[in-house]
Amino acid sequence: MEQALVVENLKKSYGKFEALHGVSFEVASGEIFALIGPNGAGKTTILRIVSTILQPTSGNVVVYGMDVQKEAPRVREIISYLPEEAGAYKHLTGLGYLRFMAELFAADTATQQEYVRRASDITGLGDRLRDKIGTYSKGMTRKLLLSRAVMTHPKLAVIDEPTSGLDVVAAIDIRQSIRRTTSEGMAVLLSSHNMLEIEYLSDRVAIIDNGTIHDVGTPQGLKAKYGKANLEEVFVEVVRQ
Amino acid sequence: MRRFWVILKKELKEMLTWVTLIPIILITVVYGLLGRVINSEQKKQSAPQPVAVVDYDKTATSKALTGILSGVNLKVTTYTDGEVDEIVRKVVAEKGSAVLVIPQGFEAGIGAQKPQKVQTYTIMRSFSLLGMTSSIKLDAALNAMNQYVGDQYIKAGAPGLDPAIVRNAITAQSFVTVGGRSAEGNPQEIVGVVMQQTMIIPIVLTLVIIMAAQMIAASIAGEKENKTLETLLSTPVGRGSLVTAKMMASGIVALISAAAYMVGMKSYMGSLLGGSGGTSSASGQAIQQLGLVLDLRGYLLLGLSVFAGIMVALAIAVILGAFAENLSSVQVLITPLMMMVLLPYLITMFVDLNSTSPILKWFIYAIPFAHPFLAAQYIFARNFTAVIGGIVYQGALFFVFATIAARIFSTDRILTMKLNTARVGSSPGNWPILRLIGSLFKRHK
Ligand SMILES: Nc1ncnc2c1ncn2[C@@H]1O[C@H](COP(=O)(O)OP(=O)(O)OP(=O)(O)O)[C@@H](O)[C@H]1O
Ligand SMILES: [Mg+2]
Repeated sequence: MEQALVVENLKKSYGKFEALHGVSFEVASGEIFALIGPNGAGKTTILRIVSTILQPTSGNVVVYGMDVQKEAPRVREIISYLPEEAGAYKHLTGLGYLRFMAELFAADTATQQEYVRRASDITGLGDRLRDKIGTYSKGMTRKLLLSRAVMTHPKLAVIDEPTSGLDVVAAIDIRQSIRRTTSEGMAVLLSSHNMLEIEYLSDRVAIIDNGTIHDVGTPQGLKAKYGKANLEEVFVEVVRQ
Repeated sequence: MRRFWVILKKELKEMLTWVTLIPIILITVVYGLLGRVINSEQKKQSAPQPVAVVDYDKTATSKALTGILSGVNLKVTTYTDGEVDEIVRKVVAEKGSAVLVIPQGFEAGIGAQKPQKVQTYTIMRSFSLLGMTSSIKLDAALNAMNQYVGDQYIKAGAPGLDPAIVRNAITAQSFVTVGGRSAEGNPQEIVGVVMQQTMIIPIVLTLVIIMAAQMIAASIAGEKENKTLETLLSTPVGRGSLVTAKMMASGIVALISAAAYMVGMKSYMGSLLGGSGGTSSASGQAIQQLGLVLDLRGYLLLGLSVFAGIMVALAIAVILGAFAENLSSVQVLITPLMMMVLLPYLITMFVDLNSTSPILKWFIYAIPFAHPFLAAQYIFARNFTAVIGGIVYQGALFFVFATIAARIFSTDRILTMKLNTARVGSSPGNWPILRLIGSLFKRHK
């Protein structure tokens, strides 16, 4: 299968502090790949590098054959990134925001309208889309942003903590949206500390701690390998080693 | 009460960071120096000013009057013959500030109790506030002369003396000299009209530059604070387009507000200084003759200079905005820029750059925002080299700052750059600005 993302020996330093010490993994197209790890493990750093907004100190990151540094503009055309705690322009309405973002990606008005229509359906916000984003709850904003991230049919969606801060119902909603959209062949790279979510959502998982990947595998495979009942216990076991 | 102190301590700790203190210290130092500079300039102005008296009368009275001039703190050189025009040109070349012509038959006229006319030439070199003082000095001189003549009349005690002539025996026919050209007109009125033209520019420019800089820095900091910047940076929008669009938007809003201010200020200044409606047609003619109106070329140069100033400010503001993590830090970050704008404005208002020390002069020239302030003065003085030089300098600075700004935006510094918010007490060392400059042009592979 074609590789959506190849990360090779990736290192990143902030000043003197090395946040990533040589990380490698691959994501196949159509696959949902999750990074799990404690706070400060380096998940967001990896996602930002893949999304071309941080530059690696060394190593290679290739998205569908394109280097994220040398061919950043072309990579940006085919990915979409949803940052953790991302915000939207509060003075815009939900619909206005979708139109604005769609215009940045779309080559023509027809495509733009198609993107907006698609996103409006996915949000499930209905008439509230006509209200200012400033009046939205956290969950509504997150849904809006997630719909924005997938409306452009990206070949790789990079999603940082898709459900952080959301209640159970909203979280399930978002997970289902992600699942549904990947059935169209989109690859997803996401991060989370929520092991349950990961087990439900991901095809494969990388366990990361302190800037190093400790193990990669399917949730089932990892559970079997370590003889544990759930990912949480696997995680604790792996990190302890 | 204890809880109150806990909160007070927390607030003070948050506010007293090097980021807030350094601008305050800078302002104190810079404006302290500025005060001393202006002080010494004022002393220079109060030193006797060189004037020339052309005494065609060559009588005891004219000599006595010449003596009075030395009494009102003027350094007098007397000429007794030669063409007035020649002498005026000579005095201009020798950096004198005024010429007084006492016509032949002056003493005889005074003796006959006839009002006498002298001619005064006020030589203008700068249209700063201090530049006006020489015309005020001439007025004082004329008053002293009238007093002297009046005293003479009263001492002589001639019967049937006309009180008007006792009070005002001598009137002045005043001329204004700019460059080599002279025209009849009231110097105060002419300075007023010129100031009205040139003073609006710095005031408006100051407001506009500060506003534009604040807007663009706030727009960058706001995107950081609302966490929309990361999303934007990951979209196909080119980084160059992003920065340019932000700069253009602030520039356009700034220009619109500049136009609005200009209209408002013009009527305000007009009401202050008498306005063109109140200007006598003689002064109007004199202003034309002296070339003290901006023609198309003048407006073009001035416009270019102002535009270049705004662009430099925007480029610097983009860099400052990149340091900001949130909207509240924008205010502090923009302070150095505000000082750079206000400083030349204040200095050029009080100091005549032609006569000041070269260090101060080049210091002012080094500030890019000084050039739009000086442009109008230089255009009036026909010093186009200085105007164009200023525009070229501003263009070069814009290029440098825009390159740095583009570099910040095209690397991840736009997200990782922060100001050191170390509290006072910890060292302000490893200033991020120094680190930034060092690392900015390091090659990335
Ligand atoms: N801009 C920055 N400057 C300096 N250090 C940073 C910066 N961003 C991240 N770090 C450091 O890099 C390390 C990894 O951070 P990162 O945000 O990638 O972790 P994370 O796995 O996403 O954590 P979390 O689960 O809390 O979101 C942390 O130690 C963090 O302090
Ligand atoms: Mg994170």
